[in-house]
Amino acid sequence: MSLIRDVKPGVLWVGAIDWDRRLFDSLIPLPNGTSYNSYLVKGSEKIALIDAVDATMAKVLIDNLNTLGINKLDYIVSQHAEQDHSGTIQKLIELYPEARVIASSKCLELLVEFSLVTRDRVQEVKDGEKISLGGKTLEFIHAPWVHWPDTIFTYLPEDRVLFTCDFLGSHLATSDLYAVDEATVYEAAKRYYAEIMMPFRQNIKKHLEKIKGLEIDAIAPSHGPLYHKPEFILNAYRDWVSDEVKNQVVLPYVSMHGATRIMVDYFVDALISRGISVRRFDLTSSDVGELAEALVDPATIVIGSPTMLVGAHPVAMYAAILANALRPKARFASIIGSYGWGGKMVEQITGALPNLKVQILSPVVAKGHPTEADFQALDRLADEVLARHKELKMVS
Amino acid sequence: MRTDEDVVVIAQKYQCTICGYIYDPEKGDPGSGIAPGTEFKDLPDSWTCPQCGAMKDDFKEVD
Repeated sequence: MSLIRDVKPGVLWVGAIDWDRRLFDSLIPLPNGTSYNSYLVKGSEKIALIDAVDATMAKVLIDNLNTLGINKLDYIVSQHAEQDHSGTIQKLIELYPEARVIASSKCLELLVEFSLVTRDRVQEVKDGEKISLGGKTLEFIHAPWVHWPDTIFTYLPEDRVLFTCDFLGSHLATSDLYAVDEATVYEAAKRYYAEIMMPFRQNIKKHLEKIKGLEIDAIAPSHGPLYHKPEFILNAYRDWVSDEVKNQVVLPYVSMHGATRIMVDYFVDALISRGISVRRFDLTSSDVGELAEALVDPATIVIGSPTMLVGAHPVAMYAAILANALRPKARFASIIGSYGWGGKMVEQITGALPNLKVQILSPVVAKGHPTEADFQALDRLADEVLARHKELKMVS
Repeated sequence: MRTDEDVVVIAQKYQCTICGYIYDPEKGDPGSGIAPGTEFKDLPDSWTCPQCGAMKDDFKEVD
């Protein structure tokens, strides 16, 4: 059974849905599986394939091309060298000896380094370059850092389709070709944005400007459903990448014997009673992707940690390292927690956040078990969070 | 005794605070179309760190 679907006349989805995949980058849980979207574009003279699939699904793509009777490919557009899209290219250039692999110079460099192509089979495309397939034109738009230096988009003006590769995508295995279930897709796309696109927020603002003038009927990413209502996902991204933060605190924490947890319980209630919304995560049972998604909007990040071997709990450091790598737009951060006899818990965590442009609000650390004085300090920290949020006019 | 001939002007290098890449004006960034000899302040605002995509305002002066 070959699952092939029409996007537009002469534009077909020929990719693979990976229903059962549950982990990406050996880090990111995929609760909803994913898909590798590959598109065949047939002009009157030439045929192009835009992105391939992960090597584990090579047979699916190749069977799809055989079912369609494709015995010649003129171009394989590699919009991004990452192996979940490029993995099958090595096999494809064997099966289709005339095919040239088209990509940005950075992408070609990576494809060669990954041993997926050889230099005699490639053709570099520069920003703005066009290739005609006969009645269909592929226009290449350089858009680096979504999420590697090599990334490009491809625009098909005759059909008004924009192929964006990972950008605007989602890890969602679904039988829907298009994003008709907007609530589910929004959540999956926001999570995906948080996991790999968020560090490139400023670059994304520029790319959104660059594609603003294009007439777009459909956006075709490389993971998850396509968008027949482009404004749906474009507006979502505009919101996520904007500099505006929300009246919200994200609070990942770990506790060993309960002292830190008691402080977290108290602090969460103190924030809620001041009208501040809270996303709280017990790091021993959290989904890393959910935590990343919770970093997109809030003005303030608070990490809760006990002291272990005179340092921060390793799980709290893990959260700090992730937050530092993802570079959310939060403006403030603090630390709450406890210690038994001493240590550098606060310094280690603050030291792990050099990439965050945050002001550190006074940490609250209890010795042993929190006392009334510690709860009062947590009240003062909650007051300070409220005051800072008010200054940013997020609270009336 | 130092004379004017002893004074050597070395263009200020800048380091990316996100990934550590050092922009050396003497080398420029030919991969992004920036010729050798371009001072950091003369880089366009749209220029990004070639190693990690960070913006100009993520860079700091370095020795």
